[in-house]
Amino acid sequence: MNIQKIRQDFPLLGWSNGRKPIIYFDNACQSLRPQAVIEAVQRYYEETPACAGRSMHRLASEVSRQVDEARQQVARFLHAGRKEEIVFTRNTTEAINLVANALDWKAGDVVLLTDKEHNSNLIPWQMLARRFGVCLKFVPSNPDNTFNLAAYQQALQGGVRLVAMGYTSNLDGVSIPAEEVVRLAHKQGALVLLDAAQTAPHQRLDVRRLDADWVAFSGHKMLAPSGIGVLYGKYRLLETMQPFLVGGDTVASSTYEDCQFLPPPEKFEAGLQNYAGIIGLGAAIRYLQQIGLENIEKHETALNQYLSEALKSVPGLQIIGPADARLRSGIVSFFIPGVDHHRIALMLDQMAGIAVRSGQHCVHSWFNSRGIPGSVRASVYFYNTEEEARQLVDALIKIRKVL
Amino acid sequence: MFCVISFIVLSILGVFSAENRSLAREALDCVLRRVTLRPCNTGFDEKMKARILGFVITKTETGARILNRFFEPLSWIFVLLFLGSAFFAVRGVYLFYVTGSCNGLNQSGFCVFDPTGQSNQISNVGESCPVVLPGEDPVSLKGVNLDGFPVLNAEGEKSIVFIGSYGCEYSRKAYPVVRQLAEKSAARFTFLYYPVKESSDYLAKVGYCAYRQDAEKYWSLVDTFFTAERSQIEDESFIRQTLSEAGYNADTILFCASDPQTEWVVKKQLSEVVKTGFFGTPTVFIQNEVLIGPKPPRVYAIALNGLLYWAR
Ligand SMILES: Cc1ncc(COP(=O)(O)O)c(C=O)c1O
Repeated sequence: MNIQKIRQDFPLLGWSNGRKPIIYFDNACQSLRPQAVIEAVQRYYEETPACAGRSMHRLASEVSRQVDEARQQVARFLHAGRKEEIVFTRNTTEAINLVANALDWKAGDVVLLTDKEHNSNLIPWQMLARRFGVCLKFVPSNPDNTFNLAAYQQALQGGVRLVAMGYTSNLDGVSIPAEEVVRLAHKQGALVLLDAAQTAPHQRLDVRRLDADWVAFSGHKMLAPSGIGVLYGKYRLLETMQPFLVGGDTVASSTYEDCQFLPPPEKFEAGLQNYAGIIGLGAAIRYLQQIGLENIEKHETALNQYLSEALKSVPGLQIIGPADARLRSGIVSFFIPGVDHHRIALMLDQMAGIAVRSGQHCVHSWFNSRGIPGSVRASVYFYNTEEEARQLVDALIKIRKVL
Repeated sequence: MFCVISFIVLSILGVFSAENRSLAREALDCVLRRVTLRPCNTGFDEKMKARILGFVITKTETGARILNRFFEPLSWIFVLLFLGSAFFAVRGVYLFYVTGSCNGLNQSGFCVFDPTGQSNQISNVGESCPVVLPGEDPVSLKGVNLDGFPVLNAEGEKSIVFIGSYGCEYSRKAYPVVRQLAEKSAARFTFLYYPVKESSDYLAKVGYCAYRQDAEKYWSLVDTFFTAERSQIEDESFIRQTLSEAGYNADTILFCASDPQTEWVVKKQLSEVVKTGFFGTPTVFIQNEVLIGPKPPRVYAIALNGLLYWAR
């Protein structure tokens, strides 16, 4: 993997118009986009800005073909059995909401979560609790924030309808042992939804080996344009689910009284789709596959190890999650007691053009329960370098001396 | 307090950039919350503080440490400094409007609206003339006998006394303005000719004789001397021509001007002018005000209306 060559594909990582390259460590929120993706989107708008499916003209059939190809590409990326198992959504959040709103819920149904879910995998279930009396249960993490398998097994005992868990946490980068989680859940007759927003961009996903029932992720965290997401679902489940958003393109036909829904995935893709996003996602996946997800994972782990080690030289700094960086994928979330996390982030930006995220990262529940005001999160991707990590640490040391 | 100073500064910068405008809006939000005693929850002050610290830290770590430690008191100091300078700026604009100088009437400190200090420029009474330096005594007409000096609108209620010299660039600038004002307001206009250069002493005598002979025609003579090329006014043939054009008999006037009696009277008159304590031309007395240097026309009008009082 030639990082310097890869970096040339990302406009923001090079000098332009006298502007210094940015040091981008906010990849868990959105990644940067390579030229190939930008061009794919531009090509759509320049050459085929038309509706897929609905119209018969040449442009429309070309878009249909490209969307179909992208769907196929996503299916292959996930090692899914068939492309019809891929539903395009706006993002992970919409994908999770789709599942939450597509099942028949009864009062007392149990949804099992971890204690550090992103709001996108918490609030939809809370809404079910309000509307149908669904019961939410949380598996407490180990003290070092790793997954507590024993607690999970115990929680499953009480009868669980759905296990909905973040595969990789955006708070600390810790992944759950997904295969085991799914296996145990299925053994107890529970369905499993994995929020893979922080997994899909960084490690190889094999949904058939995982045997997860649904997997949700966002394109914009893995080089694709903003506003494109994916829900993978086992076809037989998708077939039985109620559509969530309905309307144009979801039905084969309708009368004044009734309608006949199309088979998955169309029945879930209501209204005109984000074709540029879908085509861009196809281009992003092609790019990622060229680099190789194994290479990406290896690079990020090594960089996280370097960064975590170097951060020890910042007095008072505490990393959230396990000490072993190898367990935190590309995320280093840290705080310095008594020092405002937003101030650190703003100063990093001002001083050295370093972009990090600060706050509670949509995992308010975890922070609130522990009385920690927030953290600074540096999340790396394959285009980040050790030199950038060093600059981050140097800047933090300086800030620490001042604050 | 930081929100307040940011709001002020960003509002000014907002004139130039949209980004600053939106920051100014955030700052205002922050200020209003403060003022109504709600917690300042926009995070604006925090954001700006961090940005400022981030900037300073790249220049000096110690500076950043001090700034971080004393941020609030420093904000107060900046607000007070700003309010102070804002007061002086507003005062300067006001003074410039009414006196023609940001620093007050006849004050020559730097003024942005009049960077070259035009409104205070005077031709100093030259070395070859009786040297009169700005004295301790204020310039005033007290004890000065104005009898015998040329007067226009002798019945006028208000009074303007103009000390000027034909050879003085600044007098030439001020004269038409003051003259016009006198005409428009029917104020009594007394003209005290004072040559800044000895060579134009002669014109004092010519003027004296001309006025004594015919006070009506005299003013067109003065108008011509103030507007003609400066090199011409010392030229005898030009003086002759001007006198003739004004309707005088040039020979008679020039004969009178060379009369020792005239010289004696004019000298007396000039020494009367010196008694005002003036130190350069133009010096204009309007009502109770003394205006030194060529002021913008509005300033003379304001003085005539007695409104300069407020500029003190
Ligand atoms: C673990 C996790 N789940 C869900 C989401 C929500 O993703 P999106 O905003 O793209 O819907 C995020 C985004 O940060 C995330 O990190």
